[in-house]
Amino acid sequence: MSKGVLLFCFDTLETKYHKILERCVSLVKKNLGVPVTVVTDHKTYKKMAPMGFVNYKLIEPERGNKFLGKDWHNCDRHMAYELSPYETTMVLDIDYFCYTDDLAQYFDTKYDFLVSDKAYDLSNGKILDFGKYSIVTMVWATVLVFRKTAKAKRIFDTVKYVKSYYPYFLDLYRINSRNFRNDYAFGIALQQINGFIGYEKLPLALPTLPRHCEIQQINDSGLVWKHNDRVGSVAGQDVHVLNKELANV
Amino acid sequence: MDISELKKQSDLSYDIAVAKRNALERAHSRQVVAYREHLFRADPQTICLVSTLKQQQQSFCILDTNNNPVEIDDPEDFLSVLISRNQESLNAYSKIYKTFSKKAK
Repeated sequence: MSKGVLLFCFDTLETKYHKILERCVSLVKKNLGVPVTVVTDHKTYKKMAPMGFVNYKLIEPERGNKFLGKDWHNCDRHMAYELSPYETTMVLDIDYFCYTDDLAQYFDTKYDFLVSDKAYDLSNGKILDFGKYSIVTMVWATVLVFRKTAKAKRIFDTVKYVKSYYPYFLDLYRINSRNFRNDYAFGIALQQINGFIGYEKLPLALPTLPRHCEIQQINDSGLVWKHNDRVGSVAGQDVHVLNKELANV
Repeated sequence: MDISELKKQSDLSYDIAVAKRNALERAHSRQVVAYREHLFRADPQTICLVSTLKQQQQSFCILDTNNNPVEIDDPEDFLSVLISRNQESLNAYSKIYKTFSKKAK
């Protein structure tokens, strides 16, 4: 049975996402040991450094979404099912760095679709709580694991449906942020398609460094961050870095 | 103790507490085990449950992390996987914990 990691990467005017991708691919290859497919556009592809054997799918990203006033090309993840060449796929955000092989074992499971609904803030040791910003449980679409099954296909079809009527769902679920977020689109889709009674999840809280943490150093074994004149570090632990200035470190 | 020393000690305690929680979270994450295509936690509850059931019968059902029933027909092998992963994660935590103890002195 084929298995691999699927990554989406599109540079914007403000952020060189391909720089983040290069680190991510290197860690995936080293620690997860599975094939990698990168979904990107021609402009970003031309800037990427050689990363060894990587499968590329070139598409034109959907534009128009913004985050904090900057372009944010994140609207294509609903196509992961169609774009993935693998029977079991792990979709990762390119700013999720696999410093361990922890995620590798999720390829060896028989669940149709898995996602985590918890994230853990490495800067203060607490679970990140987004409950107050909506009345739907937000999932972290940072790490998705799915198999090519009818059930997984239905979930992705529902995400497409939610995306088509996203402003309506924002109002229905009283979601605070007005831009498109995969975390909410998948959370809503999973709730709707599963009859509002819960769904299967990844049993882990994703280790996350919030946007306010400035990355000082990064290498193949970990990273160092700074926040309010305090310095912290992570080594031998996966980490999702939200500060996109990471591309310039 | 003057205020600067108090702040220094307080900051140090906070840093140690956060680092300790991060290390513990890392251990919990490492305790997730994929076995026979299902996910389990290699925590004390699961280990005790499997150990107890194993004494009664050689094949039994338990629930995975998503409450799906899974038949375990080789309890010896499963228990060994659980204990191995549990101890691996706690040994790693223990090493980091020792560095906290040194810093706190």
